[in-house]
Amino acid sequence: MRNEKRMERLLGYSLVAPAMLLILAIAIWPVIQSFYYSLFDYRLNDPTKSSIHWSYSLDLEGYLQNYPFLKSALKQEMAAADGQTKQTLAQIEQKLAKLDAAIRSNDQVAKQYDKVNEVLDNFETPSDELKIAELDKQTAERLTVTVHDVVETLKEMKKAGELQQADKVVGLAEGLEGVVIEPNFVGLKHYKDSFSDMRLWKALWNTTFFTVVSVAIELVLGLGIALLINKAFFGRGLVRATILIPWAIPTAVSALMWKFLYDGQNGIVAKYFETIGLVDRMGDLLTTEAGAMFAVIFADVWKTTPYMALLLLAGLQTIPSSLYEAASIDGATKWQQFTKITLPLLKSSILVALLFRTLDAFRVFDLIYVLTGGGPANSTETISILAYKVMFSQTNFGAGSALAVIVFLCVAVISMIYIRWLGKDLLSDGSSVKR
Amino acid sequence: MQKKAGPFFYVFLALFVFFVMFPFLWVLLSSIKPLGELFGDKAFDWFTSHPTLKSYVSVFVNYPFLRYLWNSTVVATVTTVYTVFVAAFAAYAIARLEFKGKTVILGLVLAVSMFPQIATISPIYMFVKKFGLTNSYLGLIIPYTTFALPLSIWLLVTFFRKIPFDLEEAAKMDGATPMQTYFKIIFPLAVPGVFTTSILVFIAAWNEFLFALTINTAEKYKTVPVGIAMFQGQYTIPWGEISAATVIVTIPLVIMVLLFQRRIVSGLTSGSVKE
Repeated sequence: MRNEKRMERLLGYSLVAPAMLLILAIAIWPVIQSFYYSLFDYRLNDPTKSSIHWSYSLDLEGYLQNYPFLKSALKQEMAAADGQTKQTLAQIEQKLAKLDAAIRSNDQVAKQYDKVNEVLDNFETPSDELKIAELDKQTAERLTVTVHDVVETLKEMKKAGELQQADKVVGLAEGLEGVVIEPNFVGLKHYKDSFSDMRLWKALWNTTFFTVVSVAIELVLGLGIALLINKAFFGRGLVRATILIPWAIPTAVSALMWKFLYDGQNGIVAKYFETIGLVDRMGDLLTTEAGAMFAVIFADVWKTTPYMALLLLAGLQTIPSSLYEAASIDGATKWQQFTKITLPLLKSSILVALLFRTLDAFRVFDLIYVLTGGGPANSTETISILAYKVMFSQTNFGAGSALAVIVFLCVAVISMIYIRWLGKDLLSDGSSVKR
Repeated sequence: MQKKAGPFFYVFLALFVFFVMFPFLWVLLSSIKPLGELFGDKAFDWFTSHPTLKSYVSVFVNYPFLRYLWNSTVVATVTTVYTVFVAAFAAYAIARLEFKGKTVILGLVLAVSMFPQIATISPIYMFVKKFGLTNSYLGLIIPYTTFALPLSIWLLVTFFRKIPFDLEEAAKMDGATPMQTYFKIIFPLAVPGVFTTSILVFIAAWNEFLFALTINTAEKYKTVPVGIAMFQGQYTIPWGEISAATVIVTIPLVIMVLLFQRRIVSGLTSGSVKE
């Protein structure tokens, strides 16, 4: 018997393992990595920041495409010059040669150095791993300072007309300016910056406002609809299908549909809203701050109220009708029945529906991205939209990841609050495994 | 509470159905209007006197809409088949076998299903980029695991729990191995649940927007939601084509919903109601 139990346990773990590994690798690990990225100044459009660096390093490709040519160019200039100019040039050449020696003093770097040289001689491109060499802080700083000085000196000489091929020499020297890659670890700076930026607070406020208002309306309307259709009637199936369609249609497509209906010139809904006095002018719906927020909430309520009603209807159907019969025999009014029977027994259904809806609303992206793009004047910009813009429009993955982590933390806090309310209801076995 | 429905009720019902369906109705009516009647004076007329299918033709001729449909179909189908397959084993174990840490695992699954997509997008984007998977089907199928797998597990666990335990006991008595029990007893009974789960996962994958928007940016690999959303140009929005495309993607959904509404509802509500 004990053996059998062990077998069962083993089987259990091995059946769960593939799914758990996938979830760990594709969902949990990325969240941890997002946090890791958020600690760096990580930008995709800046070659020196397009990956994560803990320490100083040297872009050997950039270095070797410039230094040898600069060296020979300087030699040529020296041969053509005399007096003070020649001396200055000799000093520059010496300084750079010393630096070159310092770079090569590390055996590992020297090896990479030669290999990259070889690759470049064959007119090929070295791989990223090969071309990035680690550099100690001292050499790195020396390199940066020296190159800067050299460029300045050469520019002055160019102005003074002391160089024959001034543009070439200066260009090559300037080519050395970007070769030192500085560590881009910034710690919690992105978080500090985000929290001191009004745009984040505005986005957080927009998200919260959108979430609270739309979920509250959806709950009230959804509960009303669920109560009304919780009876036998002709055409149930059709109503149920009607309810499911807004839920099933892609959010992006429904957002576009609403954009058409809200259109300031040709939108029928905008026109009706103007006729009944909900907005002053048709165009206000998508071009004023309040109008846009209202439009977004209205579209969300349209799409998800039916879903809310379905969840609550399923909850209502589990309440035994005998309770209501008993209550009406005891003379309870409809309202009393609602507050004393329906609401308490529906509590866990309501909380679960609220949990799912709140989290969905809080991370809203598609609807707003397509309908308003966050505008006008960022008035409907939610935190997910802001994070997306920072990441993919500004290609600032570091700061964007920090915002993404903030969204994650908010969602975590919201879930914890709900789960505390719900207790263990959510995870306990429905049919209990006690045998 | 089974009460008889009165006439007022049906009036309310008709109004409700009308309000819910109005946007679709309007889009349907607009999709058969000639271009000139979408703007200006005639924009608010319900019915056009010159119905035309020009917008529908244009959707397929001027946009790679067929390609979008195909891409969405491939991505959603593969995602559904593979996640439901992996999830079925895990869900069976969680619902039917005794082992420590089950509640923790289920909690983890639920937690992951609540992850905001934006929190995983940057590392996933870097990952697919590094392996050259941007603009490929695999580049979407892998990220879609993040929401499809937890959803499948969560739904399947509730379905598996509803299968009576006695059957399993009986199979065990007769000397069936756990694997035999699974394939001969549980699985056939679980088919409806698996089917329902597949529908819901398919819809979720079909509708996904953020990953598709960032990862598959080439026309050739865009999915339907992204493709339609990108119909809008910088200055003009081709409402006729957008209406037609919306109708085209909505009709299969309507048919699916009509056919499977019972299953979809049972799937949507299974995790939230204690029976």
